[in-house]
Amino acid sequence: MVFKVTPAVAATMLALVPVMGHADATIDTIDRYVTFSGFGTLGVVHSDYIKADFVANVVQPRGAGYRSWSATPDSDLGGQARFTLTDSLSGVLQVLSREDSNGKWWPTVEWANLQYQINSDLKVRVGRMVLPTYEYSDTQYVGYSLPWVRIPIEIAYTDAGLHSDGLDALYRVKTGKITQNLQLQWGHTQVDLPGAQFTSTSAAVVVFIDTLQYGDASLRLAYQNYSGPGFPPVRLRVTGAGLTYDPGAWFVTADSNYSQDRFFGDLFAWYVSGGVRFGHFAPYAIYSTTHAQSAGTSGLKSLGNDHTVTAGVRWDFAKNLDTKLQLQQVTIDSLDDPASFANLSPGARVGDKVNVLSLTLDFAF
Amino acid sequence: MILMAFAVADVRAEEIVVIVNLAAAPLSKEQIVDLYVGRSDDYTPIDQTAGSRIYVEFYKKVTGRDSAQIKEIWSRILFTDRGIAPKQLPDSAAVKKAVAANPKAVGYIEKSAVDASIKVVLSVD
Repeated sequence: MVFKVTPAVAATMLALVPVMGHADATIDTIDRYVTFSGFGTLGVVHSDYIKADFVANVVQPRGAGYRSWSATPDSDLGGQARFTLTDSLSGVLQVLSREDSNGKWWPTVEWANLQYQINSDLKVRVGRMVLPTYEYSDTQYVGYSLPWVRIPIEIAYTDAGLHSDGLDALYRVKTGKITQNLQLQWGHTQVDLPGAQFTSTSAAVVVFIDTLQYGDASLRLAYQNYSGPGFPPVRLRVTGAGLTYDPGAWFVTADSNYSQDRFFGDLFAWYVSGGVRFGHFAPYAIYSTTHAQSAGTSGLKSLGNDHTVTAGVRWDFAKNLDTKLQLQQVTIDSLDDPASFANLSPGARVGDKVNVLSLTLDFAF
Repeated sequence: MILMAFAVADVRAEEIVVIVNLAAAPLSKEQIVDLYVGRSDDYTPIDQTAGSRIYVEFYKKVTGRDSAQIKEIWSRILFTDRGIAPKQLPDSAAVKKAVAANPKAVGYIEKSAVDASIKVVLSVD
């Protein structure tokens, strides 16, 4: 996926150009007219299993396994410019460099949109946005914003958290002490998987998210529907629910989703995680899994099946920097493309246990 | 410089107060927490310099979170373009001035800096 510039992205970029030229015009109330930010992760992964590559994301063509150490699963670099045009109009452009499905590191435009705040409770965005399908999907590559090295891969198995070009509306409703954030997004997305058997396809996508916040607790409900031509034809529906409680000194978070696809069948994925924070240290544990519920027209009965037990620690050792050490054991529950792996060799067996160690350094500014 | 050093040394023992514009309605502690951890944009929160003693104390005592957690929370909001972290001002005098000038602004300062230009909605011991 090489720096694809769609009409929506191009229009947003063009709209932002004159703004950059007049950066000194209306600075009186907003002195932060253009802000630049960046984030990145430097990571290494070690796997003790030589019959498959452990990957961090379903689109990655390789990882740690055949070569026991790899820097590709988690390493990335991103930059963002945010433009404040008026009190109610702003724009954002975010570019990310990360190993893509072709094994290349070409930067992609992740976010490029104009946002208009209609009133204090309603805003609309036009352009490119990252799909908010599951909890953390829209910041899954910003390692610094995650409590773990990476989001559990099982939850993202049927959806790699790609971006969509289109329209998005965010509406907030307050009922007593409960705040609901409703998000409706529709547009077009590219689905690009490694391997020659799947063509890159363009799909129409509709997403609806309802996040209910009550103090430190939040409940997140998600619905996403893809449809598009190609092989196999894209007919994917993802329904999700997640719960988080984070009072500061500790946290628990869980997310789940049920995917229905005519070709690949039905899959159910979930994780539960908890952690505590002692000063600059935040140890955590995760249990995550995905299991096929029914076979689709592909005939695959156990697509993606695996489960993972993870333990790790985040250390905020300096301003804007953290380092994480994570150990996990993945159990292969199917030979039909277990979620955490690519390039499964014929010698792999159901029940094989894979030990993975990850070490990352994250920054954000 | 010497005066500044004294001013900083004083903050340690001092109470922090949350202030709003004279024209603004009172705020609950929950509302203040929501503003500073990015869950609400009903008002405009104003910050002190990240890492300063008053900043660290305020977040620890009011939100129950340390500076790194606050940075983590706002980085998630920033990189999904859902908002930007509160604007940081250099000292309590600047915060007071900004709050006095904006009916939507909320800030926090040392108790000793309180005067008639703003009103206190929460005391943090």
